[in-house]
Amino acid sequence: MKRTLNFASRNIKELIRDPLSSIFALVLPLFLLWIFQQFKIPNEAYIISNFTPGIIVFGFSFITMFTAVLVSKDRSSSLLLRLSASPMKSYEYVLGYFLSSMPIVVIQIVLFILLAMILGLNFSVNLLLALLVGVVVSLLFIAFGILLGSLVGDKSAPGVASVIVQLVAFTSGMWFSSDMVGGFFATLCNALPFKYCVDILKGIINGNYDNILLAFIVFFAYLIVVTLLSVIFFNKSLKSDKK
Amino acid sequence: MIKTVNLCKNFKDKKAVIDLNLEIKKGELFSLLGVNGAGKTTTIKMLSTLSNPSSGDIFIKGENLKENPNKIKRIMNLSPQETAIAPNLTVKENLLFMAGVYQIKDKTLKVNKLLNTFKLEEIQNKKAGILSGGQKRKLSIALALTNDPEILFLDEPTLGLDVLSRRELWKTIEELKGKTTIILTTHYLEEAESLSDRIGIMVNGKLSSVGTAKELIALSGEKDFENAFVKIATGGEL
Repeated sequence: MKRTLNFASRNIKELIRDPLSSIFALVLPLFLLWIFQQFKIPNEAYIISNFTPGIIVFGFSFITMFTAVLVSKDRSSSLLLRLSASPMKSYEYVLGYFLSSMPIVVIQIVLFILLAMILGLNFSVNLLLALLVGVVVSLLFIAFGILLGSLVGDKSAPGVASVIVQLVAFTSGMWFSSDMVGGFFATLCNALPFKYCVDILKGIINGNYDNILLAFIVFFAYLIVVTLLSVIFFNKSLKSDKK
Repeated sequence: MIKTVNLCKNFKDKKAVIDLNLEIKKGELFSLLGVNGAGKTTTIKMLSTLSNPSSGDIFIKGENLKENPNKIKRIMNLSPQETAIAPNLTVKENLLFMAGVYQIKDKTLKVNKLLNTFKLEEIQNKKAGILSGGQKRKLSIALALTNDPEILFLDEPTLGLDVLSRRELWKTIEELKGKTTIILTTHYLEEAESLSDRIGIMVNGKLSSVGTAKELIALSGEKDFENAFVKIATGGEL
């Protein structure tokens, strides 16, 4: 565990010392949360208790991007090659990548909820629960980051990871309900996990647990599959980098 | 210290290393020379557990590497061709990180010692990503010494450095001789000649000749080491 924490601590430094990380992961979602509350849009999606969960999940999509860039850079710089000759084990790397994003995730959720409260979201115990569940939801986005970082090189990682950012924006239901569009787009939204991530947090913040079970089932199914794939492809990338 | 028995590595239809039989003594500085694609880096990667041999065995301190790689990983370290450093970490943080990887008990003491040995004290708080090529190489080798390895693999340690930085690194490597078993690959013939106790010349994946620089010169019948290397590496065609 000591080695994992040592690796995670190094990863945190790499992440927070990149100023773009805080701009995209914190400032941009905070700005969007604030600006869209100024417009007073007469749509259910923009009610503060519905919009905040979308913003939280949107913020997580940048965690995918930064994790993907970090993993791919570690591969291309041969740092992972050097570490492969050390006593570090593969699970220690993967766990180290997961742990390193946790402080940023917690800061994200706390700041987004605090701003939402300033903008009119009522305080309740549900918000504390949302913080805990939000951390669990973020695991999926970190796993996506490790998976993408293991599959692509450091130059293409930001571009490929930005697809996740776009998918979250358009398929999570944060801006508009997929039912409004229907057809293939609605099917796509239902097939991808992002809508369910928002639904889970929306249900918890609003204290409405009616449809939360299905959302949890789909989310956990995705979390297990993407985490397994990320471990498999990360190990595979270590081996192919060894050639 | 290191013994290989009929070591082979194949990449699909290409034979990168063919029946390598080699013995390296404790405290020896052994250089592997060869033209591009001769099999030097592949050999180092197999010896340092980064690549599995297609066949054959590697014994380190009498232990078969295949059977107990983790035990052997604790007593070795590596400085790869690429500098392999964490760019957003400072020089000191890089060393502390690597000391954490090897679970060094008194990390600060060890790191301060390395900063002093490699004359990195003045730049210890600079981010590694902005260092010069020579400073990065120095840091890379310092990182490889955090666990006081009994065996150190240096893959092209002076690649791309200017003459002064190269000489400075030679001095550092020379200071390690005798205490640490060093296996070095290089393209610089004068580097191999000046630093090595023995030199192995690889040709098309095979270990063609092994000996001291003087022995190899005598074996080839040439006047100097450069000509001796060219004759051995080309079979006398150049």
